[in-house]
Amino acid sequence: MLFNTPIFFIFLIVFLLFYGFVFLRHKPKIYFILVSSLVFYGTWNYRFIPLLVGSAVIDYFLAQAIYNSGQQRKKLLLTLSVVMNLGILALFKYADFVIQSVADFLNILGYQADLGSLSWVLPVGISFYTFQSLSYTIDVYRGDMKPRKGLAEFTTALAFFPQLVAGPILRAKHILPQFHKLPVPTWDMVCNGFLLVTIGLFKKTIADLLAGPAAMAFDGGAVSVLETWTGVLAFAGQIYGDFSGYSDMAIGIAMLIGFKIPLNFRLPYFALSPVQFWQRWHISLSTWLRDYLYISMGGKHNRIRNVMITMLLGGLWHGAAWTFVVWGLFHGLIIIATHQLGNSSVFAGFAHSQRFFNKLSKWIITFYLVLIGWVLFRANGMDSAWQIISQMHTFSGNLPDAGSKALLVFSLTVAALFFMHIMDYFVLNKTPQLMAKWWLFWPLLIIIQAICLLIGEPTNAFIYFQF
Amino acid sequence: MPSSTSSSNPEARRPIYGKTLLAIILGMSAALGLVKAFAYINDASSETILGRVLEAKAALPQIVKEPQELAMVFGSSMVRAGFSPREFDQHLNDQGIQNIKSFNFGFGGLNPFFQDFLARRIKEAFVENDRRLKLAVIEFNPFQTTITRHQGALPIEDSFITMLGTEKEFRKILMDDPTRGVRLYNIKYLRDSISAEMVTSYFAQSFQEPRNRTELQRNEEMDKKRNELGELLNAAFDKEYPNYVNSQWSYEWQGGGTIAAERSPETLAIFEDYYATDLDPAKLDDDRLNRIHTADILEMNFSDELLEAFIRIVNEFKTFSDHVEVVLLPRNTDWIIYPESGKKRLQSAISRIETATNIKIKDHQNLPMMKPHMFNDTTHLNRYQGATTYTQYLAQQYHHFLIDE
Repeated sequence: MLFNTPIFFIFLIVFLLFYGFVFLRHKPKIYFILVSSLVFYGTWNYRFIPLLVGSAVIDYFLAQAIYNSGQQRKKLLLTLSVVMNLGILALFKYADFVIQSVADFLNILGYQADLGSLSWVLPVGISFYTFQSLSYTIDVYRGDMKPRKGLAEFTTALAFFPQLVAGPILRAKHILPQFHKLPVPTWDMVCNGFLLVTIGLFKKTIADLLAGPAAMAFDGGAVSVLETWTGVLAFAGQIYGDFSGYSDMAIGIAMLIGFKIPLNFRLPYFALSPVQFWQRWHISLSTWLRDYLYISMGGKHNRIRNVMITMLLGGLWHGAAWTFVVWGLFHGLIIIATHQLGNSSVFAGFAHSQRFFNKLSKWIITFYLVLIGWVLFRANGMDSAWQIISQMHTFSGNLPDAGSKALLVFSLTVAALFFMHIMDYFVLNKTPQLMAKWWLFWPLLIIIQAICLLIGEPTNAFIYFQF
Repeated sequence: MPSSTSSSNPEARRPIYGKTLLAIILGMSAALGLVKAFAYINDASSETILGRVLEAKAALPQIVKEPQELAMVFGSSMVRAGFSPREFDQHLNDQGIQNIKSFNFGFGGLNPFFQDFLARRIKEAFVENDRRLKLAVIEFNPFQTTITRHQGALPIEDSFITMLGTEKEFRKILMDDPTRGVRLYNIKYLRDSISAEMVTSYFAQSFQEPRNRTELQRNEEMDKKRNELGELLNAAFDKEYPNYVNSQWSYEWQGGGTIAAERSPETLAIFEDYYATDLDPAKLDDDRLNRIHTADILEMNFSDELLEAFIRIVNEFKTFSDHVEVVLLPRNTDWIIYPESGKKRLQSAISRIETATNIKIKDHQNLPMMKPHMFNDTTHLNRYQGATTYTQYLAQQYHHFLIDE
């Protein structure tokens, strides 16, 4: 059940009707959200509901036990939680990757190895809810929060349908108090929610349109340097529109019910360094990795090692393929390079400069590096990635080969990419002013919704669901 | 702007959810209103898109009540152009078979997946009224059955399903896949069968790279003459059919077009000249390249799904027809020349259909009486030369199935 489908529209209306008018007390409301969330999840694959509920129940009791145990036992229980959550993830997501990699390695050594595969279906949203659940037991272990009373509240928070399948990854200490209180939304919050849902839908619509030129470059259809760049830029727009659009919708839908979910993107393609990019892209994941992995390993004390391990695992979180590993390592490298250059006497001035041309140069370099990263991320293999990167830099003078429409598509791709960020800038900075002008606000939302209803691609599933 | 706040009294909380629901419903209704206005302005509706099919479908209750025995030629736009039902009936009449009424059920733009829906509607109409077709001639159009054609039709698939499907079929889809079912209901009842994918694919054409164009020089004189003759023919039509009621599938004409017997010798002479202007090699070569681009008409890489749909169609017709013939319509042999690889694929597809339906396909692609000048492009027969000749051939070939026993 995708947010941008008519069935979700019906689901939301029915949900609001019952949530607002039928279930009026705290406990029934909690159970109603839980059942609704499981129905929402079950439309993908109901067989994975026990896995979701089971991991919530186990972590709930493990957190209680961690809180009530001494240091030695605490560590053991936390290890159990980590092993369980990452074990589930490893089994469903990485087992085949490991089996295949071992087989490939044995083949390289000269052994004809066919180790078969598990070919298990990946439960939707598993990467999100296992990290969310894990953050709870770690927070309790660290003493950052006390375990919450109420299994239903905890399970409901983990399964909360707006963020269940593609994040943002919520922190227990942020979301659990809200489930305890069940806040009622204010009208301003509802309007803000509508705005985010509409903008999210619009970004998703743009992302779907960009899928065509992106596929052309990555699936071998690009014939010129211009088409290759168009494809890479289109993928940058597609993944941003797709994922940030989904996050916006998730945050907006939660707002309609009264819940506040933190921002997941903050104009990432306007970043002036790779470090800044990760402070703006998929914020809930990058802060999770920072707080629970990077800092746990010692943070700055062994920065190079810790950054590389964090980014490698961050890459692997996105999918079980070597391209994701290389993508993570690539980002690790450019983050370290940024730190090293920022600390060197030669580049420190440039790195910290606020002059327009220096900032422009930093933006161009950062965006270029991010694009190279996206090639690694999207390519169908390392050979293909290398071929596309080569094609991006092979100025063979064959621009005319691209055809008369290529320049138009390139221009529209750049415009779409830029437009999505401009829209986000206004949402981030001008929402109160826009909402104050109701005569502009509502017609604008309706027109944007109408445009979204007029544009459609037959294959429009959200990219981040596969992670 | 009023603002609701948190309250311990649950009753006080209701207005905010009521307002939220109202905003969702009103906002979405307004947005859908704009979508409908956009469709209206662009003249996009089920009638303008599948008007001929819908008119034919609507005529089924009347067809099954005809007192005569019924015959039907079912297929693509090649059938629409190449079969003249009233001439067919006349040929039979001349052979002493007077109790037959035939219909042209040829439709452009419907691949076998969509034709299957229409075939089910035809079957329902016949079965409900306990009628049978005396003869069903079903065209196997290889060009409509390719992967290229199938992929090209994906954006319009849901729209066409909502135009051709029934409530029962929608309910089944809803039960099997609620997401898709709700989507289809939404397209049918809230969007007048115009899906977002259909709109997008229509406008996306402007951004696609142009296909290969012919390198031959267009004969401008011929084009000019063609336009002039076209105007004369329009005027002749108005004169000879003063009471014609505009429709895309005319019941009076049994789904076919005008016939030579109704036209004046002067008009037919103009048609002769007009058809000659169709033979500009540049025009025909460009048409051929277009069909290669949109339908893979030479290599013919067949879509499994479409072949299966075609097999279903034939088997559906068998349940309510006394006799079913499957045919390949005449081919413009000057312009459509299959490579060996294409021939092999076509033969393999034919074998597969024959095995699955137990019907031998009649190949009319190379009939000696059908000449390249009888086509008005690379695939469609013209009316007074091509359709007339081919219809006569069909009457000669199949009249024995129509004799009362």
